[in-house]
Amino acid sequence: MNRLADWWFAPAPAERLAMLRIAIGLYALLWVVGRIPELHELAALPADHFRPVGVVRLVGGPLAPGLVVAIAAATAALLAAFVAGVAFRVVAPLAALGLLWTLTYRNAWGMVFHTENLLVMHVIALAVTPAADVWALGKRRDPAAAGYGWAIRLLIAIAAVTYVLAGVAKLRLAGADWLDGEFLRNQIAIDNLRKALLGDRVAALATLFLEQPAVLTLFCVLTLVVELGAPIALLGGRVGRVWAFGAWGFHLAVVLTMNIWFPYPLFGFAFLPLFPVERVGQWVIDRIRAIGSRLRS
Amino acid sequence: MALERQRPLAAAVGSLVLVAATLWPVARDPREDGFPLSTYPMFATARPTTLVMSYPLGETAHGNVALLPRLIGSPEVLQARAIVERAVAGGRNGMAQLCGRIAERVALEEQFRDVTGIRIVSGTHDAIEFLVRDQRGPERLLARCEVRR
Repeated sequence: MNRLADWWFAPAPAERLAMLRIAIGLYALLWVVGRIPELHELAALPADHFRPVGVVRLVGGPLAPGLVVAIAAATAALLAAFVAGVAFRVVAPLAALGLLWTLTYRNAWGMVFHTENLLVMHVIALAVTPAADVWALGKRRDPAAAGYGWAIRLLIAIAAVTYVLAGVAKLRLAGADWLDGEFLRNQIAIDNLRKALLGDRVAALATLFLEQPAVLTLFCVLTLVVELGAPIALLGGRVGRVWAFGAWGFHLAVVLTMNIWFPYPLFGFAFLPLFPVERVGQWVIDRIRAIGSRLRS
Repeated sequence: MALERQRPLAAAVGSLVLVAATLWPVARDPREDGFPLSTYPMFATARPTTLVMSYPLGETAHGNVALLPRLIGSPEVLQARAIVERAVAGGRNGMAQLCGRIAERVALEEQFRDVTGIRIVSGTHDAIEFLVRDQRGPERLLARCEVRR
């Protein structure tokens, strides 16, 4: 038990967690702002299109479009403060709550997406960590008693669990048959057909793989290896980063065969906790200081 | 000193709660999806390659053309599909309303200036035949409306 605790609480720089707050918070902010026009359109749909999920079940029916947009705008403002690290202990839980509500509301119109789950869970996790002890506006805080490594490990663990669940779902719903490639070939075919019929783009490599289904067997095996093997990311270091590249490759393959975009992992944000991201932040700070001193002299 | 011990405890409890919550859907039927706690059932279910689906088409002098998801009501293709399905389930009224909304949006689109009418159809297609051999299946007209500019 002690060894587990020692590993979980192994130290990490406060700047790394702060950089994760800034990067993931900024992604969430841009994502919410980019969703506002769509949220307005969805909120204007007839009430019988409303299929509440998660926390949105708390309301009996759809909210007025103006209110939906106002909540999203307030969430964006809170996320901006989250990124800046202002009054983090108060602002961060509110920002996480706003993000949870706004994105759950987006998923309450007949289609539950899987592109935003990890983002929401990461922001919730960051909200309960000392992620604004450094590189934050406002008064300087004392170093956290529990350190910062546990918070980074928590982000990795949450990501790993989501991948494991995806693998488990395949095995529970399809069993070992999922590996023979036919399940995936049919998924690719049906998904791309739906896109073609609704005027969306058919994936670049879809028809190639539909004509060569044997290749898909390899892809199926690799998918399950990445998904069920996700907990190795918790080892961190090179092993964790190799897993991250494998998972990123899986998402790239999904784009190329199904034109389904999971932007949070695809743009690397889901895997940032596995990298020394504070170096990027430090580089930016050094550049700003260098420019500042050049302007002063 | 006591406070210093409490803080790692709070961090440990917080970590356990969040990891357990993320893992919790494993106890559910994998088909029972949710948000943000999901079973992630995408790509996991068996599917036949034949698809029966309703969708709108734009009428032009040279034949029917596919529209865009955002003209249906959402830039997300699956959400757009859900909107069409719900409208079809709503019968003649539901389809007429959706058809009208699509026609209004199409009328504002330069890209679709040659579209004179909207058809909501139900098509039955084999996905492999459609995508690999360009073979369309039969389509049945469900609703139609004019695009007024």
